[in-house]
Amino acid sequence: MSPDTTSALLLSIRVAALATLLNAAVGIPLAYVLARRRFRGRGLIDLLTTLPLVLPPTVTGYFLIVLLGRRGWLGGPVYQLTGWSVAFTWYAAVVAATVMALPLLVRTAKAAFESVDRDLERAAYTLGRSELRTALEVTLPLARNGILAGLVLAFARALGEFGATLMLAGNIPGKTATVPLAIYTAVQTGEEPTALLLVGVLTALSCLVIVAANRLGARAT
Amino acid sequence: MSDRLEVAITFQVPGFDLDVAWSAGGGVAVLFGPSGAGKTLTLSCLAGLITPATGRIVVDGRVFFDSAAGINLPAQARRVGYVFQGYALFPHLTVADNLGFGLRDRPRAERVSRVARVVEQLGLGGLEQRYPRELSGGQRQRVALGRALAIEPALLLLDEPLSALDAPLRRALRDELRQVLSAVGTAAVVVTHDFTEAYRLGDRIVVYDGGRVVQSAPRAELLWQPASESVARIMGIPNILHGTVIKATPDRIQLRWRGQILEAVNSPTHSYLPPPEAPIAFFIRPEYVRLIRKDRGPADVTHHMNLMTGVVVADEDFGTTWTLRIRLDAPGPPDQGDYDLQVEVPHLVYEILEIERDRRWEFSIHRGSIHVLPA
Repeated sequence: MSPDTTSALLLSIRVAALATLLNAAVGIPLAYVLARRRFRGRGLIDLLTTLPLVLPPTVTGYFLIVLLGRRGWLGGPVYQLTGWSVAFTWYAAVVAATVMALPLLVRTAKAAFESVDRDLERAAYTLGRSELRTALEVTLPLARNGILAGLVLAFARALGEFGATLMLAGNIPGKTATVPLAIYTAVQTGEEPTALLLVGVLTALSCLVIVAANRLGARAT
Repeated sequence: MSDRLEVAITFQVPGFDLDVAWSAGGGVAVLFGPSGAGKTLTLSCLAGLITPATGRIVVDGRVFFDSAAGINLPAQARRVGYVFQGYALFPHLTVADNLGFGLRDRPRAERVSRVARVVEQLGLGGLEQRYPRELSGGQRQRVALGRALAIEPALLLLDEPLSALDAPLRRALRDELRQVLSAVGTAAVVVTHDFTEAYRLGDRIVVYDGGRVVQSAPRAELLWQPASESVARIMGIPNILHGTVIKATPDRIQLRWRGQILEAVNSPTHSYLPPPEAPIAFFIRPEYVRLIRKDRGPADVTHHMNLMTGVVVADEDFGTTWTLRIRLDAPGPPDQGDYDLQVEVPHLVYEILEIERDRRWEFSIHRGSIHVLPA
């Protein structure tokens, strides 16, 4: 295995794992709020979190550049202040993978939260539990399998991310070239054995993920 | 005795408008009425799960809600034991953890002893380590009740507590529930749409219809003196009939019905004095109509009040009783479609009198068994 192949595999796993963690931190509370609260702007948040599922990944990547690039709304001031930009670093790959995977987790987890009988939460309130403790002690455990299935899907999506990563992080071997990007490079440069190896690994991982998600989904019902 | 429970609330949602006020002393108040009348909504307001638009809720002197004073205790602070219609047991917790759920902030020793007491009180011994899915319907009902009782509630709320059970178990648990409620002595509000259940469980019955209270009375008073024809219909009383007033005095009402002159006792507590010729609704309980035996000579007019004759046009076997539908020997259309009066007789009477063969009967109704319904 060439050094670039090894680093692509390690980078992909690191990016996907971090993206999944970020998804859990942001996506689970977001899904709960979308499932249980009615507030102004709820529709907009629902739309924004679902959009990456529908848009071409390059378009999502473009929006991320507009937001986080060196001249971006957020990235511009940061670059001027610190001289650092997230663009074309491996963090950018994490950001791209997180945004692309978020809709899968939020939609799955939201459905899982919605399937929890509201009377259980109401019972917990009458028994003295605050909304936060009710969410942690009643809603979350009962939605657990749906949420885990969502996390598995998010991991798989993050692992396979290509378009948005290419836009924001580029395709720098050993730095931002994740497995899907490395496959592209390998095919372009005629390195058939490398391409075949990476394709095989990614396919095997994806199969595992689908089996795991199905098992969790079956237990949730 | 002063009222332990005072409720006056309004709440609006599109297509439904709740505006109710009632109060109750100790014991069990039953909210009775058809589905969609606002009974469960009232429970949610009492528990603090929904905030009424306006009104006031006071339980044993504690103000739960007062829109004028800006008071609204959160559900967590009300100490209300709520038994939900589907029981809402936490499926991921054992029976013991369900029972102790409301005691999380108490010292461990107190938690254990309270759970043990509820287990004992409701006969749940041996089930502590089971999960709700491993329990029968009756056991689930008891766990839900126990979980609510464990917090020593200021008020118990039970939403259709028996509707998830099948009929024989329902009757047994109804009586058991009545005993438990009177043993704990906590003020309780029970929601039901079944009148037998309302009567068995309630000391006071509050009748709901379309988001309003149409009557609130001690159960015996409601049984014999529904406040109106619509209350009588909600209660499912058979033989609601329509006649014309001849003369009304504080003790008696004379009325004309299907060509007969009937004499009824006026309501002892709320006498009702409609003018002559006014239309009047009244009801006759089917089990209070007396068939006159033919083997004992002609009926004595001085002894039998409100004598009439008619033909049995249909009958139905209910096992221990028979229900006869009788059409009077009178011109004009019958009062209830193709018959005038529904009469209930014990099975034995049906056999002895050979009603299956002999269809024409003379019968009488005591004036005390004709109940007039205020318009």
